[in-house]
Amino acid sequence: METNFIFAGFGGQGILLAGTILANAFMIEGKNVTWYPCYGAEMRGGTVNCEIVVSDSEVSSVHKQDTDYAIVLNQQSFDRFITRVKAGGTIIANSTLVAEARPRNDIKYVFAPMTKLANDLGTSKVTNVVSLGVLASACSIVSKEFLAKGIEKVLGAKKKDLIPLNLKALNAE
Amino acid sequence: MTNREEKVLIKGNYAIAQAAVNAGCQCYFGYPITPQTEIGEYLSGKMQELGRGYVCAESELAAINMVMGAVATGVKAMTSSSSCAVALMQEALSYAASDELPVVLVNVMRTGPGLGYIYPAQGDYNQAVYGGGNGDYNLIVLAPATVQECVDLTYRAFYLAQKYRNPVILLADGLLGQMMEPASFGEYPYPEVDVSSWALTGAKGREARKIYSVATDEKKQIQHICDLHRKFEVIAENETTYEEFEVDDADIVLVAFGSMTRNIKAAMKVLRAKGIKAGCFRPVTLNPFPHKQIHALAEKGKEFAVVEMNMGQMFKDVKYAVEGLSDVSLINRACGEWLSVEEIVSSVENVLRGGKQLAASL
Amino acid sequence: MQQVFSIPKSMKKDFRYTFCPGCDHGIAIRLVAEVLDELGLRENTISSTSVGCSVFLYDFLDIDCVEAPHGRALASATGVKRARPDKFVFTYSGDGDFASIGLAESMHSALRGENLSAICINNTTYGMTGGQLGPTTMMGQVTTTSPTGRNAEYFGYPIKIAEHIALCDGTAFSARVALDSVAHINEAKKAIKKAFQTQLDGKGFGFVEILSSCPTNWHMTPEEAHERVRNEMIPIFPLGVFKEVN
Repeated sequence: METNFIFAGFGGQGILLAGTILANAFMIEGKNVTWYPCYGAEMRGGTVNCEIVVSDSEVSSVHKQDTDYAIVLNQQSFDRFITRVKAGGTIIANSTLVAEARPRNDIKYVFAPMTKLANDLGTSKVTNVVSLGVLASACSIVSKEFLAKGIEKVLGAKKKDLIPLNLKALNAE
Repeated sequence: MTNREEKVLIKGNYAIAQAAVNAGCQCYFGYPITPQTEIGEYLSGKMQELGRGYVCAESELAAINMVMGAVATGVKAMTSSSSCAVALMQEALSYAASDELPVVLVNVMRTGPGLGYIYPAQGDYNQAVYGGGNGDYNLIVLAPATVQECVDLTYRAFYLAQKYRNPVILLADGLLGQMMEPASFGEYPYPEVDVSSWALTGAKGREARKIYSVATDEKKQIQHICDLHRKFEVIAENETTYEEFEVDDADIVLVAFGSMTRNIKAAMKVLRAKGIKAGCFRPVTLNPFPHKQIHALAEKGKEFAVVEMNMGQMFKDVKYAVEGLSDVSLINRACGEWLSVEEIVSSVENVLRGGKQLAASL
Repeated sequence: MQQVFSIPKSMKKDFRYTFCPGCDHGIAIRLVAEVLDELGLRENTISSTSVGCSVFLYDFLDIDCVEAPHGRALASATGVKRARPDKFVFTYSGDGDFASIGLAESMHSALRGENLSAICINNTTYGMTGGQLGPTTMMGQVTTTSPTGRNAEYFGYPIKIAEHIALCDGTAFSARVALDSVAHINEAKKAIKKAFQTQLDGKGFGFVEILSSCPTNWHMTPEEAHERVRNEMIPIFPLGVFKEVN
């Protein structure tokens, strides 16, 4: 059983970090996982994305044509990645910056005002972690318990003082 | 990071760098180039912290020659680079092979020819395996498929380089360098090689030692080249490594190297679910290449499909190994987005329908 | 009976110079050997050798040597020194190796202040390949690739190596000497000793450019060749110390 996730948004929205926290959460849970950043020709127009694949057995290809979950934090990413969501898959969008539209009827939609929720906590910088909380609510294989451990692991040594804020962001929705 | 149990989520480039530290690499010399720059960035701080040597070299030419100077004194040292800049190092690799210097070079492949671009590819198979330097020489070439292997094969690269006094290339690719995956480091698993019989340390209480490749005596040079080739036969005998998966009952064996290995393994599962008996074969050492093992599979009547991100470079080695005993097809893309599991599956189905060699698809 | 002359311990016992008659390489290498002896360095020295007539250094000196491809001697020496900071490390190159194909490596070693010593034999030509125009070929000088003499429009200008090396912040010592007379030979030895001492004192990059004759490729007798060094080279490449850090 293999599941993949794409995180996408503006540079500076913490896209790569959100993916890193999710990948760490899966690793701590004992699953096989890969993280692959947008790279080469994909990196254009100030948008950034990364792809996480989690598997019970060895991860097959780390970069796939379609995805089970797309977590998009801006409009450009919504427009670009909605076509890559598998039939039956889910797109999770930051409705503060993405217009609520449902152009496909074979996928699920989750809209949450992630930037607003982050601002309510005092800074838009935690929008990425808010999105992880939203993802956990929408996806049964992602647990907030392990995401919290992932946050602690990633922020661990150097940014310890930011852990409480990020844990709040995880539960913002 | 020495606990074998503890796993860390780490980029392939950082994994190579930390493994080099654990292996006892005393000096790193390098020049930045995407997609491997993280190796030098990581080591710049680490080597200073450990009191070891680091130079941000003025060029790749200088970097590999610094490595040659350092390893001549018996220490472990390495450089890393990518494709078009590894091209600059070919002269030195030829010298290092003749001088029998244990140089370790990491090539995190990008796209060529020429400057190409930074997206991943496997187009330096020929450059690494057949060499871009002058003369008759062999490099040991190791191709990791996972981030864990970036660690394990970096360890092995340092060991083999000193054990056989032969340059070693770790041939990774941009995908592997940039991706993160859990890996554990453990301790450097190999014994320290005794270099005291040849290393340059100053001629104290012994005859002076000269390491050079200039060969004014024709007969001696013939002998030297033959000795180097005999040495490589020993390396081939002892160190050829490969992996095979479900080849016993397979009708068609998919062959790939490096990070494409994981895609053919996934494709094999899909094909088997469709009732097609597919197996996988993956050379870990690209030089020495597992010719014998592939030939043995061909003798059993198995067909082959080589899957790679170039225009069919390893394909030729597989054909050479098969010696016409069975069909060998090529499933490839020139560079960029790795062939997906779906593309490999449909290409194999096409091969089995009789469409033999496939053109490179976009 | 008093012994007044002997082969330096740093030279091989059975060596026989293979240089052309009148070539100054033999004198330069002997001076290097004498200085190695006097500073007690023979058993603690590693040399990175070069390509050109200077390549034969390892045939004559009884010290550990590693070869570098053409132009890469200073890179190789950087590697040696970074790996073994306790060893005495020097290079010995011609002007082509040091200042043409290897200019980047030479300059950057000086800029980094690598704690090693470099000697460059400047004979204004590519000696080993038969006398072609090189980086230090003088204006008007006839070579096999400047048959009507070097002119600026067609060939550009020669490089003044010691002055350029002196401009590098990492350089601790840079001098130019000649071997055309006994007095100059004595000065040359002093400069080599200073450059070597600079490394022993941990001060950084030490450099000596040695003006040398190449009678064969200059088509001159050894005496005429030394006169040319005196009358044509020294006015263009002045002798002296261009930088000395105390």
